[in-house]
Amino acid sequence: MNFTITRQNLHKGLAAVSASIPTKTTLPVLSNILFEATSEGVRMSGTDLDVGVRIQVPADVSLEGSLTAPGKKLQEIARELPDEPVRITTQGDQIELRCGRSHFKLNGLPSEDFPTLPAVSFESGWQATGETLLSLIHHTSFAVSTEESRPILNGVLWELSDGQMRMVATNGHRLAKMTVPAASSSHTTVQFIVPPAALQQVQRLFGKEEEVVVGQEGNHLGFRSGGTEVYTRLIEGSYPNYDQVIPRDNDKWAVVDRKTLESAVRRMAVVASDQTHRIRMSLAKEQMQLNVLTPDLGEGHDEIEVQFEGDDLEIGFNAAYLLEILRYMDTEEVRLGFKAPERAATIEPVSGEGEESGIEYLCLVMPLRLLD
Amino acid sequence: MARTIEVLPDAVANQIAAGEVVERPASVVKELVENALDARAGRVEIELAGGGKRKVRVADDGLGMSREDALLSLDRHATSKVRGTSDLRALKTFGFRGEALPSIASVSRLTLETQADVAEPGTSIRVEGGRILQVRDMARTRGTTVQVERLFFNAPARAKFLRNTAAETRAVSDAVGTLSLAHPGVAFRLESEGRVLLDLNAASDLPNRVAQLWGDRAAEELIPVHGEGEGFRLVGLVQRPDAARPGFRRTALFVHGRPFREPALIRAGDRAYRTTVAPETRPWILLELRVPAGSVDVNVHPTKAEVRFQNRNAVEALVERSIREALEGEASAATMDQDLPLPHVQVRERSPAGPGDGGGSSETQMALFLRGDGAPGPEPGQEVDGLVPEPAEPPRLWQVHRAYILAEVRDGLLLIDQHAAHERVLFEEIMRSFDTGGSEGQRLLFPLTLRLPAAEYEQAEALSGLLHQTGFEVEGFGGDTVIVHGVPAPHPNFDAERSFREMIEELTHGSELVRSARNQHERVAMSFACKSAIKAGQTLDEREVQELFDRLFATELPYHDVHGRPTVVRLSSRELERKFGR
Ligand SMILES: Nc1ncnc2c1ncn2[C@@H]1O[C@H](COP(=O)(O)OP(=O)(O)OP(=O)(O)O)[C@@H](O)[C@H]1O
Ligand SMILES: [Mg+2]
Repeated sequence: MNFTITRQNLHKGLAAVSASIPTKTTLPVLSNILFEATSEGVRMSGTDLDVGVRIQVPADVSLEGSLTAPGKKLQEIARELPDEPVRITTQGDQIELRCGRSHFKLNGLPSEDFPTLPAVSFESGWQATGETLLSLIHHTSFAVSTEESRPILNGVLWELSDGQMRMVATNGHRLAKMTVPAASSSHTTVQFIVPPAALQQVQRLFGKEEEVVVGQEGNHLGFRSGGTEVYTRLIEGSYPNYDQVIPRDNDKWAVVDRKTLESAVRRMAVVASDQTHRIRMSLAKEQMQLNVLTPDLGEGHDEIEVQFEGDDLEIGFNAAYLLEILRYMDTEEVRLGFKAPERAATIEPVSGEGEESGIEYLCLVMPLRLLD
Repeated sequence: MARTIEVLPDAVANQIAAGEVVERPASVVKELVENALDARAGRVEIELAGGGKRKVRVADDGLGMSREDALLSLDRHATSKVRGTSDLRALKTFGFRGEALPSIASVSRLTLETQADVAEPGTSIRVEGGRILQVRDMARTRGTTVQVERLFFNAPARAKFLRNTAAETRAVSDAVGTLSLAHPGVAFRLESEGRVLLDLNAASDLPNRVAQLWGDRAAEELIPVHGEGEGFRLVGLVQRPDAARPGFRRTALFVHGRPFREPALIRAGDRAYRTTVAPETRPWILLELRVPAGSVDVNVHPTKAEVRFQNRNAVEALVERSIREALEGEASAATMDQDLPLPHVQVRERSPAGPGDGGGSSETQMALFLRGDGAPGPEPGQEVDGLVPEPAEPPRLWQVHRAYILAEVRDGLLLIDQHAAHERVLFEEIMRSFDTGGSEGQRLLFPLTLRLPAAEYEQAEALSGLLHQTGFEVEGFGGDTVIVHGVPAPHPNFDAERSFREMIEELTHGSELVRSARNQHERVAMSFACKSAIKAGQTLDEREVQELFDRLFATELPYHDVHGRPTVVRLSSRELERKFGR
């Protein structure tokens, strides 16, 4: 293998790929990046076996070939190199790097040792704008579960159907769901359960303006835009019926300034138990009261103005869940819907007049049972 | 009609009494040593031959007796110790019946040698089967020596019940050991056939006496107990929970220096250990009680082995409470130290016997568990090895091996087992929440639908009320399926389903842990704590470490988890310095 590459391209490629390399691994080859030089340029790949990233960058290849080499080291070197062309060659299992008067030799491993990334065909895939994809990921993936006992909830549900795309995530205590219109989707509904780590790579590597093509191959999903590709294993199993738990009969509605509510809840959280984060919310005409009483610590009370319709209500929440959801609401005001103290509450953005975007965003929080 | 009731001649009465007072050599030794202690001896020496069956000899350096007193002492009901019934209740001395010497003398060949006053000659009296054979002057130092030979020589029926020499020797050694605990300030020496079985110098306090008797290791494993209530006062030593083992145990109860048996009080002590030791574990318990006059009757048993408290419940409660409090202290934590200083329990200074103390009995010779000033135990500032987190400066904490918390405290280091610590925290929280109606559960969007084996299903249904209070909202679904609508949230990585399943399994099929519970509430709380606590391997961030530490030390028993294992192991700066040779 022998090629010459600009420092910028080398650095771009290494930066993209090395973030997918596991920090701790017992498989030495996984801390390496796979270089593949072909007539079309150089491909660099990295994977932690769950998620893989591949990027193609332009290079002047004089001898095709492949080798794996330590990713983090190369990235650090590339960062410090002068802005001059870099020549990369191999000698056996060593990679040599020359740039100006700098010269490095690093020990690598044969490319055969590197796991093959899934062969996903993007021909018959789906398309999504970067903007749509990033917005969906941003607004939902925070809600995935980290509990090991229900692996299905460790992923984000991604539904593509005719004219719309939807992501749902939940840990069983709260749920985030976003639906956006999508020009060219599929005619049949498809569902993927995607590990959030892959979505993080998508967020990191793709821009808003990019058109992202998505392809599936068996148990794997690929995202591609330009020369950048992200591959992931999908989580298998059937996602719980989220639609069934979305309350349809909420009949108490509070509209409240998001920032005001957020800071009030944040204040309450200071005095709430660090374990349960329990706070109590009471709603009555034009007024929301927040209370917290934590044995051994103390208590707090706050009042904020709301527009409230419906019967008075008292309900308990994990303040951490409320804060998290409020952080992802983009509007000035939010609407909270309730039915009863033991039923799911909804939180939605309140969009201004004429701001109909067709985007639907809804979060659910299950209450904490209150004791009297 | 012929007269059928006759006053028994003394000799016969003594023999009958001897049947009750004197069972075996050990009871002879016990009576003689008690007399020596009553006479405020500073040193008591005991010699045995044939396990005491052939010979028992007890020598003391106490007050001694004049010739007149010496002769009187062999008369039934001759005692210098009780003048009226109120004295009897005052419990100042072991003796109060005036029965021991005559009883022993009636079933043996007894020689009494004594001298009370240097100005007068000593007296030697030889008695056989209760008959005085010889009284003569002798030269000797102050004190008394009683030699008892051929016990039961004239009562072959009783002699038959004596055990082999080894067994009798052991019984004597136990009796002396027990009395020596009640009187650490007195020196004891026990010899059998020329072999020294015990050689105890006067000790400064009970822990040192324990160390003399059973070794430093044993003494280090004991923590001091103090308590007071309703006129009762209690001091003593109990075993650190982590040192307690199943099987062999030592227990000793004293009231005003007087050993007694009372299984109910030991049981009360065991209750105090609940949730700090495994169920079969039998911690050592050594306790001394001081009681108000008139609240205990010591005259209920011929060998005075039992006493009767007027208000036994109050005493039991005091024992349980005081031990519990002792276990709350840091001294009860497991330690890595090699040479932990002995717990600090001071004994009353022995004041030399002399006039003004009112004859052969006075407080000074009594229970030596107490401090010189009569205060029950160490000053607050003198706490044992205070590795207490400095309040002004919060300790620095680190998680190590994703299993322990290392804390830098004023006097050393604490290592805290994160799982055990959280277990303790959860257990007390749930127990408390049972009183306040339960703890709040997190409602689930997707209720857990769990199939359970039939027995477990029944258990889950039966316990649904209590489970609900722990935060598990369980509903029977019919068949073998339960639905869990709400779950507790003890920590962010809580795995509700697994915890629930494990808990139901344990509660259905039992385990050593839940068998140690006192009632259903405790069973559920223990199982919950065990199955729901943060596990080893769980990474904790700085805040979580801090919170766990704070909550642990806010519990009643921070040093022990619910299985009876330690939550904290401490290493004192002193020990560190010693290890590094500084
Ligand atoms: N070692 C001794 N030193 C001094 N006086 C003694 C000693 N042994 C016995 N006496 C005297 O002899 C008396 C009788 O002793 P004895 O043991 O028979 O009765 P007690 O101790 O008064 O009562 P009890 O029968 O309950 O033991 C005692 O009251 C005491 O005055
Ligand atoms: Mg006596």
